[in-house]
Parts: sequence; structure tokens; C-alpha cells
Amino acid sequence: MSDPSSDIVATARYAHALNVSLVTILAVWHFAYDVLILWRGWPSYTSHAAALGSWLVVAVALVVGSVLLLRGTLGPTTARVLAVATLLAGYLALDSYPSGQVLGEVSWAWNTVGWCGVLLLMRAPLGELIGFQTLNTAAPVLVLAVEGAIDRVMVARLIVVICATVGFQLLFAMTGRLLLRTARQATDLALADAENVGRRSVDEAVHAGRLLRYRQVRERIEPLLRGLADGSLDPSDDAVRRATGLEAARLRRLFAETDDTPDPLLHELRASADLAERRGLDVSFVHYGQPPEIPLVVRRFLAEVPLVVLNSAASWARLTTLTDAGEVIVSVVADAPPDVLSDMRGAVPLSVVFDQEESQLWVEIRWNRAADSTSGSSTTTPSSSRESRPG
Amino acid sequence: MTEDPRIRVVHVGHTLEGLPGSLDVLILDLNLNGRLVIDDIAELACASQRIIAYSQFTEPDLVLAALDAGASAFVAKGEGRVHLVETVVAVAADRPYVTPTAAGVMVSDSRPDAPRLSERERIALLWWFQSMSKASVAHKMGISPHTVEMYIRRARLKYAHVGRAAPTKADMLVRAIEDGLVSAEEIAEPGGVHEGDPAVTGFQGRSR
Repeated sequence: MSDPSSDIVATARYAHALNVSLVTILAVWHFAYDVLILWRGWPSYTSHAAALGSWLVVAVALVVGSVLLLRGTLGPTTARVLAVATLLAGYLALDSYPSGQVLGEVSWAWNTVGWCGVLLLMRAPLGELIGFQTLNTAAPVLVLAVEGAIDRVMVARLIVVICATVGFQLLFAMTGRLLLRTARQATDLALADAENVGRRSVDEAVHAGRLLRYRQVRERIEPLLRGLADGSLDPSDDAVRRATGLEAARLRRLFAETDDTPDPLLHELRASADLAERRGLDVSFVHYGQPPEIPLVVRRFLAEVPLVVLNSAASWARLTTLTDAGEVIVSVVADAPPDVLSDMRGAVPLSVVFDQEESQLWVEIRWNRAADSTSGSSTTTPSSSRESRPG
Repeated sequence: MTEDPRIRVVHVGHTLEGLPGSLDVLILDLNLNGRLVIDDIAELACASQRIIAYSQFTEPDLVLAALDAGASAFVAKGEGRVHLVETVVAVAADRPYVTPTAAGVMVSDSRPDAPRLSERERIALLWWFQSMSKASVAHKMGISPHTVEMYIRRARLKYAHVGRAAPTKADMLVRAIEDGLVSAEEIAEPGGVHEGDPAVTGFQGRSR
């Protein structure tokens, strides 16, 4: 996959190259070849002022048009005004030719003005360029007709000249337009393609996350359901009830995880606390401070630990969170067994204390944004037993 | 409340009208007939009435406003009888008592004029808020429950410097000096913060 921005640059460069080649053709043509024709045929022009004036008008229109075109600031109106100026200059030049010299050695304007039209009207609707070329061609043909010079030989010459000048110029313009359009389409396609790839990778990540959660849920829930269905698990067994309760709580938390709320962590903790209360637990949940943005992997862990403790609590639990812009401290105290978190490994260090006399578990999880250890390992403290009484 | 021999209930009312002038402690519901009574707290504290703000609302702003106005303590309605009794007994003797709810509010106080708590005071408040057991906090901090209590009380005393001056706050500070909890030199420092002075080491800056 190519970088879309480089495609845009490539298109811009391509358009610029086309403009430069056109400007070069015209500059060489008008400032070298036309000057040579004028210089060589100077004595024979019927009006020197008309000859020189028409050349100058074309030169000025050419320079102004080229500069604006190369700067990328040539507006459609300016282009049309300059095109009309060159067309009229072409008529003036025609007037300066001696009789019978419309296609002779001193004529210069027809071809040059035609190229000016290509330069100025390349980006205008094709009809405008065709109209311009028609008017530019009609004038010399009309003069020839008035002079009565049109015979079979002249018709053949005109056909050759028109094909060689107007035909070639139109072909150049049309090919240029076609190539520019193709380049633009290629760019659009590349951009759309890049967007699709981006969207696809997001979709894939979301899908992979769903699959992972689904697999985790299935691996844990399926054996429970199977056991309950075939009678190998007894619903009145405390361990079975605790396991099913925990999985129900996990499902509930997963549902809460996708909810769109300003404080996802609090929302998920509240969901866990609600579920524990519904189970008959006396739960107090107190929160102070404004929660910061927390990475999903950390948030999941911060929510999962209290969930496990709440689910294992016998009768009561106190869930507290204290947050500020840089730190989140989640704590849960409950009359839960000491080993419920023994296989808990996660993104944030855990502090676990078990008070044996009171049979209560006190777990504290701290996540610090500055010292974010999302890639680090857990430093779960082994449950310690001690004696204590509340103050 | 009436079961505790240390406490005698002499007045119960739904308004502040007809309040006896000789109460040791007044337990005042912050929401009296649908009206917040923070201003009344300030007025009563000016008249040296010790007040325990008692409320089901535990929003930090409300708790801090009650303490700033001169309430001696804040007790949340959900915190239970034991905390209320302990608070009444402590407040009657001009001693500070910090409930876990008030501790949570104090430790999360990020106002610009919040007192600067020392790291140990912060930890003591935080873990008291979390566990509601000073013995558990003491064990986790590796100190005695008495020292935990001292850190919590010292943190509370720093709040006596916040908000308007009140005789209840002054009385609490005087009792703290008598108890040896703080020295008169520490009290003399507004906010109690004076880096490098050995007499006020316990009052040094907060880490957050």
C-alpha cells in the first residue's frame, strides 16, 4: 500500500510538469521562432505597429498566463480574458500581413495564438477551447476566402495546416486533460483505499477483541453450563454458585464496558456493585475525584479485581475510588477469602492484605499515568495473615 | 445514641428555632426541611456552638463547606452509629474526629487553598477512607494505631486554618496544643507550612 499523501504529491507534480512543458513550448515558439519570422519579414508587413503590437500583446498575455499558471493561481476569468486578448492580437497580426501571405513566410500568429489557447483554457470546459480554436482558425480562412485564394490546392494546404496546428493542439489539450483526470482518479482511489485499509484494521482489532472476549467467556462459561445441564455440577454447591455468580458478573461488566459513558471505570464498578447488592451483599461504593482517561487494558484490570472480590464476599464490601488527573486508586475491602486473587495477573500492581481475625480482604490497586506500567508485570503481594481489629 | 452512658440527648428539633444555648454538641442535618444550613453553621460556630454536620449527601464541596464554616466534624448518615457516637464524644472535648467519608474528601481536596498535608497524613487518611479500620491502616503503615490517629487528627487540624475563623476552630486548636498533638509554634504558622523548620516537620508539603 502506497502512502496516499505521496500520491497527491505525485499528481500535483504531474500537473506541474505538464504546465512547464506547455510554457516551454510557447516561450521557445513566441520568443524565438516568432521573433525570427518578424525580423526576417519586417520590411514586408503592411503595418509595423500592428505587427509589433500584436506580438507584444501575445507576449504579455503569455508571460502573465504562464506565471499565474505555474504559481497555481490562474483563475478561470483571468484565463478567459487573456485568451480573448491573444485571439484579438491574432486578428491584429493577420491585418499586418501583406496580401496573400496568410499562410506565407511572414505569418506567425495562428499557431502561437492556438497554443496560447491550449495553455490558458486547458482546465476550462473543452467547448471553450474548441470555440477558441474555431475563432482562431476562422479568421485566416475568412481572409483567404475574401482574397479569393481558396482553390483545390489551398484547401489541401489548409487541411494539412489545420491538422498540424489545431488538430495537434486539441489532441495535446485533450490528452493532457485525460491524463490529469486519470491521475486525480488514481489519487482519489489511493485515498479511498488507504481509508478502507485504516477502517479495516480498526474493524479487525475490534473483531479480534470480541473474539478474544467471546473465547474467554466461552471457555469459562461453557463448562459451567454443561456441568449444570448434565447434572455433574450441583447448583446448591457453594463453589458452583460462586463460579456462576462470578461469570454472570463478568458478563455484566463486559456489557457495561461497551456502554458510552463519560466515566467508564466508575460505570463498570457501579455495575459490579449493583450486581453484588442484588446478590444480597451490603455494598458501599464511595468515589471522590475526577477520573482521568484510562487505557482499556488498565481499566479492565481495575474493574476486574473488585469484581472478583465482590463476588467472593460473604456479606459486605466497601468499594472506594480516589482519582485525580494523574492517578487512580481503587480499593475494595470485603469479608472475602484470602486466596480469591491468587491467580490474578494484570497490568497494574496489586496490594493485597488479609486480616485473619476479621476475615476480611483489603485490596488496593494504584494506576499512575506518569509511571504507566501497562506493559509491565503484576507484583501481586501474597496474602498476608495477621491480627487486627477495626479502629 | 441514648444507649451510650457518655451521651445525654437534651433536645431534638426539626428547625433551629428554640435551640437551647447550653448544648455541648449539636448534631445538625445539613438538609433541614429542604434547605442547606451551611450559613447557619457559620452563625452557630461564631457563637461557640460545636456542630457535627450530619448528612446523607457526601459531595466533597458540601463536606468541605461545612468544615470551612466551622463545623467540628462531618458524619455521613451511612457511616453508622459507632462513628456518630465517637464523633460526639471527641467533639464535646474539642478534639477532632475524622470519619472515613471526611477522610476521603480531605485526601481528594484539590482546591488551590487546600491545606498541604504530609505524605504520611495523606496515606493515613487514604487508607482510613478505604478500610475504615485504624488497626488495619496501622499494620499496613507499620506504625501504631495511636500514631495513625495522630496523623489523621493533625490533617484535620490543618483544616481549622481554612475558611472563616470561628471560636470552634480556635477551641479545637487550643485542645490540640494541650494534648501535645501540635505545638503553639505550628499553630502560629498560617496553614502550618514552613519548610525546613524542625518544629513543623509534620506539616510539610503534600505530594500531589
